[in-house]
Amino acid sequence: MNDDNFDELLAQGVRDYNAPGAIPREEIWERIQAVRAARRAATPLPPSVKPRMRRAPVWLGTAVAATVMLSVGVAIGRRVERSHAPVVASVQPVVPKTEATSASAPQAPVVSTTPDRDSIVTAIQHETQHTARRARELASAGPAPSPSRAADDNRVLAYQLVVMQHLVGSEAMITAFRSSARRGSVDTQIASWSRDLLNTTRLLETSPAAQDPTMRRLLEDLDLVISQIAQYTTRGQVNTDDLELIEQSIDKRGVMQKLRTLPGRNAPVGT
Amino acid sequence: MSRVWFRTEAVTDTSRLHDRQLITRCLAGDTLAERALYDAHVERVYRLMHRMAGDADLAADFTQETFIRAFERLEQYRGDSSLGTWLHTIAVSVALNGMRKVKRLRGRTEAIDSVPEIAIQPLGLTGDLRARLYAAVDALSEKLRPVFVMHDVEGYTHDEIATTLGIPVGTSKARLFDARAKLRLALAAFAGDHIA
Repeated sequence: MNDDNFDELLAQGVRDYNAPGAIPREEIWERIQAVRAARRAATPLPPSVKPRMRRAPVWLGTAVAATVMLSVGVAIGRRVERSHAPVVASVQPVVPKTEATSASAPQAPVVSTTPDRDSIVTAIQHETQHTARRARELASAGPAPSPSRAADDNRVLAYQLVVMQHLVGSEAMITAFRSSARRGSVDTQIASWSRDLLNTTRLLETSPAAQDPTMRRLLEDLDLVISQIAQYTTRGQVNTDDLELIEQSIDKRGVMQKLRTLPGRNAPVGT
Repeated sequence: MSRVWFRTEAVTDTSRLHDRQLITRCLAGDTLAERALYDAHVERVYRLMHRMAGDADLAADFTQETFIRAFERLEQYRGDSSLGTWLHTIAVSVALNGMRKVKRLRGRTEAIDSVPEIAIQPLGLTGDLRARLYAAVDALSEKLRPVFVMHDVEGYTHDEIATTLGIPVGTSKARLFDARAKLRLALAAFAGDHIA
């Protein structure tokens, strides 16, 4: 093979190398806008207006609301976790339709997800979308036009609430994902759910919520894990190597442990 | 080789004038101008990101980050090169950093032998050989791969590549030569039967 032949074949061969499909033009633009808005909102607050938890009595109403919402989130998450056990138990062997099929191949189990589980997942997804909307609203609103300590405290608290809701939703999604993975299936519902959560995670990574180093690390860990899950579930095919990588990411970074030991997550809910 | 993106100097001059107007409006906070700037360049940036990343999600992420950085640093754009080239400089940097991060996270790269066979059969290349070729391109170093992808896959000129990567034109040519040599070596044993 001479140089010319090789170059010609190379030119033909690489034409489709990593060939792009349709450009998600609008989706990318929306994400750019959201991140930029969040970054604008994330202008550092002066130390004098950083959140001080001793002022809690002033925000008692909001705090109570936050606790209630978190409790609901935790309860929903735990219900999802519990609801998976009966699903596994309900695995039914396929009833052979003909003798030929029964003789030719081993019967694969059919997993029937219960309507109860679906409705729970839908409910949490709904909650996730609500949290994402709230995060976008906060990001779009930006800093108060005439900054005051009260306004800044309000904004920080609002972000904290959104972050806590987001973390609860993330825990529920990861739990649901692991559960479906243990069953050897890919839950397509989780694909869109995880993408929603990924967008919110990235929004929050550039928000004032990420000013706290611990929270920032947790959000970065979540970014990695959720993006892996989103890619995996979007592909829709079981791949044990990829699953192992996701599990490694979750375990090595202690994501579930961090999520479950967050301050304020110890309320005895539904236990 | 497709040269869809090749631009003449005259077109470049017009584009620069257009870019200047857009930038001025963007810096004045005109969101319509920002969108126009995005629309004018997103396709080319996304294509390159996809060629480099090989994954639609990563390509979207890299494209997003490119434009975010560009809007944040727009006032630093001096007009030494075209806006498109400036954007590509950011994009390539974002992609290389992003790919490094992805590789670290995955903790592994696919061995050439594990690359699945590609079903489509291009002229003169079997699926096996094509898969080998793609794997060999994937395995090119960080210095060689962008030059090869930009020149031989996306049809950029050496001038464009040199400006984008901040290297002399001669270096761009040398890197392309090296990249092709490595591909030839990687495919030599396998290609004998297919492209004798």
